[in-house]
Amino acid sequence: MAIAKAERLMNLALCLMNTRRPLSKKELRESIEAYREAWQQGSEDAFNRMFERDKDDLRELGLVIDVDENALDGEIGYLARRDRNRLPEIALDAEEAAALTLAARVWQQAKMSGAASGALQKLRAAGVPFAEEREHTALEPRIPAREAAFEPLLVAARDRRPVTFEYRKAGAAQPEQRSVEPWALECWRGHWYLAGYDRDRQDARVFRLSRIVGKVRSRAGTFTGAVPEHVDVRAYVSRFAGEGATTTATVRLRRGAAFPLSTRALATRPVDPQWDELEIPYGNGLGADLAEFGPDVIVIGPDDLRADVIERLTAVAGLGE
Amino acid sequence: MSNAIDQTRRMLSLVTYLRERPGAEVAEVARAFGISERELIGDLNVLPMCGTSFRGGDLLDIDTDGERIWWHNVDDVAQPLRLAADEATALLVAARAVAGLPGLRERDRQALTRAVAKIEDAAGESAESSARVGVTFEAEGQVFADIDRALSEGRLIWLRYWSHGRGGMTEREVDPIRLVTEGHTYLEGWCRVSEDRRIFRLDRIAEIKILDEPANPPRLQPRDLSAGLVSPAADDPEVVIEVAPAGRWVAEYYTHDAAEELPDGGLRITLRSADPSGLRPLALRLGRDGRIVSPPQPAEQARLAAIAALEHYRDGAAQR
Repeated sequence: MAIAKAERLMNLALCLMNTRRPLSKKELRESIEAYREAWQQGSEDAFNRMFERDKDDLRELGLVIDVDENALDGEIGYLARRDRNRLPEIALDAEEAAALTLAARVWQQAKMSGAASGALQKLRAAGVPFAEEREHTALEPRIPAREAAFEPLLVAARDRRPVTFEYRKAGAAQPEQRSVEPWALECWRGHWYLAGYDRDRQDARVFRLSRIVGKVRSRAGTFTGAVPEHVDVRAYVSRFAGEGATTTATVRLRRGAAFPLSTRALATRPVDPQWDELEIPYGNGLGADLAEFGPDVIVIGPDDLRADVIERLTAVAGLGE
Repeated sequence: MSNAIDQTRRMLSLVTYLRERPGAEVAEVARAFGISERELIGDLNVLPMCGTSFRGGDLLDIDTDGERIWWHNVDDVAQPLRLAADEATALLVAARAVAGLPGLRERDRQALTRAVAKIEDAAGESAESSARVGVTFEAEGQVFADIDRALSEGRLIWLRYWSHGRGGMTEREVDPIRLVTEGHTYLEGWCRVSEDRRIFRLDRIAEIKILDEPANPPRLQPRDLSAGLVSPAADDPEVVIEVAPAGRWVAEYYTHDAAEELPDGGLRITLRSADPSGLRPLALRLGRDGRIVSPPQPAEQARLAAIAALEHYRDGAAQR
């Protein structure tokens, strides 16, 4: 029976951490049973591929593996130096530890949730006093990432690797191919967005992950443009969602109706016993928000907003062309 | 079953942990690592096959009688390991997001902020890529704090709540169960009016009072929220919505059973809704970008509402 991968990885990690001098690939192959098996039963190639993958996996887990090109009479040597792999002293009090326990539970995505619990396990092993019983079980902040593009983009942004993907713009009938240097990911109102440099448009762009169609493909090469120090994805997205508006609209609202609109009012004055007049920020998408409330809302101005709402209502009334 | 990566990660921490705790109890270690005792025993079966030196012979002598765990040849390979970039990112992004949650108790926020600074310090360059991921939680801070208090004191709450589907204010008494934040924040509670479990969005709560009466929600299985906050029942009526390309967002906002591509680049979305007439606002919002095909009521109600609304805009209408 083949030896389980976790056992193989564990052996490689322990070998690399427990040596004071770099070990050659041959030495590792002779020390680790799974490698010996792969080499004897498979081929040199099979072993080499396995070894490379395993090294990458351990690096993903945080192990710093030094490669000494010329350690052993021209042979490459590998070792994980203790001083470079040790967690520095960290003193968290019980309150801080409890708060982190709550935070570590928020990821609903497999890779991130595995990484968060892995971090807690390392901290716990290092002596951080995490309590057994969970406080605050009634608070459940959740970070979902149901979009398939999340994980490949996260890795690409981390490693600064360009990607391509098919993207369907809002309202577009067909997706088109985009070539992007991914900078940052942001989750706002439960949806994920990517900011990056669009190579074809030669400018910064923001993409909504749910509109990526099919696979995110990693491209060879490196970023051609500089990554900005600070990327404010949220400011961009919220502006598109109608926030941060600089102009206002005037609408009338049947009193007691359309509560979500009334909370947005900058000013309210009664018109008569049934109607109030509200001044509300006029951002992107306001026409759709207003149409939702049907006869409980009347748009006074500006004229383009009034026309937008009338057009929407006409379509729903079946009075259009 | 956990994957090989997560298992390796865990076993590396496990040896560090066991080193400091000779004779550790299986149940306690499993709890500490957030795994089942079976998973832990699985790890303990692998560890004796793992060695600390090359050229064999020096395997970890870890064994268990099912109750306690002993490591007979403890050595110093088991040092606490540095955090990987992904580990630091996962923890820091989550901690910063929770710290930014409006209404969180000040003590908790300060503890988190302190913890974030310490983790950043300890993680060093591993913490750098955490700046590339951000999460914003939204909540109405005062309402959040009120509900949090009601939850910890175990008291009933009274709400004046905007029902979006019905387009009107409702008043209810609710036994609070939990506060769930996913983008927005929601109260899950037992609604005494409808005698059912309900989800309330905090930004639609117009008024809240914490009552003296103790909360007494029926014992319920926690709902699985992995598919979304709204989980329709299997026997809820089916709704079919056809949208043009500009209405594809409906599939992103509504939990649905199927979304079938249409030749024009639009979608035919099938979902279930306990109260299809509550989709009237959606029909109005969609305008020319889509229509609710069945059942017929929401589209018809929207049509009548639109006709009534257009009355306001007729030449000489009183409101202008």
